[in-house]
Amino acid sequence: MSISNDSEFKSALNRLTPVQQRMVAARFTENVLSLCEDPRVVAAVNAAKRPDISEAELSVVFQAAKTASVETYTQCGKEADWRNQAGHFVAKAALLCVTPPERAGNLAWSAAMNARMARTCETIANDQGTENREAEQQYRVLTELLNQ
Amino acid sequence: MNELQFLTWVRGPGLDIALSIFLLGVLWRLAEIYTLGRKADLAAPRSRPGASGWHTILRRSLPPPGMVKRSPVSYIGGYIFHVGLAIIVFLFVPHIKLIESLTGLAWPGLPSQVIDAVTVVTLAAMVVVLVDRINKPVKRYLSTFEDYFTWTLTFLPVLTGYLAVKHLFLPYTTLLALHILTAELLLIFLPFTKLFHAFTAWGSRWFNGDINAKKGVPV
Amino acid sequence: MTASLEKGINVLKEVIDAPIASFFASCVHCGLCAEACLFYTESGDPKYTPIHKLEPLRRVYEQEYTLLGRIKKRLNLSRPLTDEELGQWRELVYDSCTLCGRCSLVCPVGNDIVYMIRRLREGMAVAGHAPEGVIGATKRTVEIGSPMGVRWPAVAAQIKHIEADTGLEVPVDKEGAEYMILLSSMEIINFPEYLGAIAKIMKQAGKTWTLCSDAFEATNSGIQIGVSDIARVIVSRIVNGAERLKVKTVVSPECGHAYTALRWEGPNLIGRPYTFEVLHILEVLDQFRAQGLLKTEGFEETRLTFHDPCQIVRRGGVIEPQRNLLKMVAKDFVEMSDPGKYNWCCGGGGGVSANEDAEALRLIAFKRKKAQLEETGAKTLVTACANCRIVLEEGLEHYQMDMPVVGLTELIAEHLVKSDTAAKEAAAQGA
Repeated sequence: MSISNDSEFKSALNRLTPVQQRMVAARFTENVLSLCEDPRVVAAVNAAKRPDISEAELSVVFQAAKTASVETYTQCGKEADWRNQAGHFVAKAALLCVTPPERAGNLAWSAAMNARMARTCETIANDQGTENREAEQQYRVLTELLNQ
Repeated sequence: MNELQFLTWVRGPGLDIALSIFLLGVLWRLAEIYTLGRKADLAAPRSRPGASGWHTILRRSLPPPGMVKRSPVSYIGGYIFHVGLAIIVFLFVPHIKLIESLTGLAWPGLPSQVIDAVTVVTLAAMVVVLVDRINKPVKRYLSTFEDYFTWTLTFLPVLTGYLAVKHLFLPYTTLLALHILTAELLLIFLPFTKLFHAFTAWGSRWFNGDINAKKGVPV
Repeated sequence: MTASLEKGINVLKEVIDAPIASFFASCVHCGLCAEACLFYTESGDPKYTPIHKLEPLRRVYEQEYTLLGRIKKRLNLSRPLTDEELGQWRELVYDSCTLCGRCSLVCPVGNDIVYMIRRLREGMAVAGHAPEGVIGATKRTVEIGSPMGVRWPAVAAQIKHIEADTGLEVPVDKEGAEYMILLSSMEIINFPEYLGAIAKIMKQAGKTWTLCSDAFEATNSGIQIGVSDIARVIVSRIVNGAERLKVKTVVSPECGHAYTALRWEGPNLIGRPYTFEVLHILEVLDQFRAQGLLKTEGFEETRLTFHDPCQIVRRGGVIEPQRNLLKMVAKDFVEMSDPGKYNWCCGGGGGVSANEDAEALRLIAFKRKKAQLEETGAKTLVTACANCRIVLEEGLEHYQMDMPVVGLTELIAEHLVKSDTAAKEAAAQGA
């Protein structure tokens, strides 16, 4: 099957099991991981890719990723540093990857959105406008996973 | 000057000077403050029952939630000595007689034993409030010479009045003269110190209430 | 005396009106204002006493507007304000005050202390003593349109994300729409879900709405540092946009001071009343609720509590709507101690959160909010101001408290009865 728009994308993600959602969210986040240098965020993404990870370990990386996410908010009134803000959205996406499913809703979709926003921040920071191909890349990632 | 001449002076010229300065001072200060006016507020107000300048004049006499616990002496000591002063000044028969001689107005007073008791309580409350001012970090930090000076100006008439009524320590004539003198000093300094809050607290409360009432917040 | 110091002092002379003179004349140094101020209560340092923060303004009052003060000045016996003193007061006026206004509610002689701080900031700013961070924000707002440097393309990008997320259109520059929605840069950058929530709610309520591409920013840092000229420029942009698009109501977002700036100070800044209504988003939602236009389903099961943003509640007058709305979607909603207009500040408003020098003090002051939260036993914290959200999250993080912070508008949107399109989608999935 192929995915060519967001409505198909979203419903396909909805049909995944929690473990599958975590894995695909991790892949989405990996795609933008270069926009964030924080080791806690990287650790969260790596942890999410492990299907056998225990709840205790997840909880530890969750806490660390949460701290990273809170630390990278842009303060009200401060000049928007779009590179930092990209990092913030990556942190948020990573956080979703390691959030217990009962707290996260459709976590793969939210992670995808946050990853896209990270990419948009990057292009703004590089003065390349706000268009990017992140969504299409995400469709490809999901399609590959589904066809496995 | 002997004590009788002193007493005659404070009752006569002294009183005239003090009342003149007091009345002129009050009028001047009120004008100095309230003729500054304020800009009209062009924002469309929200109306809410119970929110207005007038409501705040009354309501602000009550402590807000949680505040008495944070500063009990301020509230309890404050209420006691303010109410005490009002009772002593306006419900003690010799004072009422004085007001009658000056204005023609009179009203019944309280028995002198009641006034005695109120005076003792008021004096004690004032001492407690002073000790609190010295002890509590915030009050100590804020306090200037004026705070201690005005405390003294307010305390002395009450103290000397009590001593006079009780004929304690000094001859009655002297005590009475001191009482009247200290009361006159209080009157003279009132318009020019923080004691003027007796006149401006109502305006301040009204402004505060009005400003917030326009947004629909009862304060 | 430098030119800017002189200008600053002149500003202070001009801002003193009858209320301020009355307030200074009434102060009896009781110190109760300190007991209402979280910067004092949590640090124990008496220099944070609110009335003390006003000392420069009080000196001007004394020297210019009291008999004895004027006499002393004539006799060269008074001390004029110095640059050094104003420099010393910067911390008190900008780091340890969020314009929360709690002090004004407790002063027994009725002093409206926050009213005075707001005006002292005008003089401080002209004299060159406002903090760097906020000066920058103000400049950016005037030059770029947003204090955080967010230009329309960034907003447009967020709009695309939201349209993808919700499947709904975000109207832009639609003339004759009933509601013109403003955003805060904070929401555009940090909480884009807010716009999605608006789209869903407006769809369900069947109301027309629009963004305005040259007046999308609600925040007004001119108000925060006290530069009325700049505040006026920012408000005028919105007024022009609203009048150009002929909207009935301009809606202030979940941002604290934006509401105060637009609703209460705006008309005075531009010198005339508005030709449109200004409402906070919570007021709009509450109106929809009262009209039966807001249909929700499901309840939050965990215990929730609500943080009242100072500028919206105590200073803005929006007190009941949030409670009505929460009761629609929460089974276990508990109030904090000191709820509503008496609630305690998050510690980051009034420009404090953008002020790096103030961070350490802000985290100490957060202990007040922490204590309130612990008393409620709540598992989730709901609020309605993007800045409060971040400040609260940072505070919770600092004190290792695990408690999600949610925006009320988003919470309501999550509980909206699913629309037809979503129902069809759900049906298609099940097939």
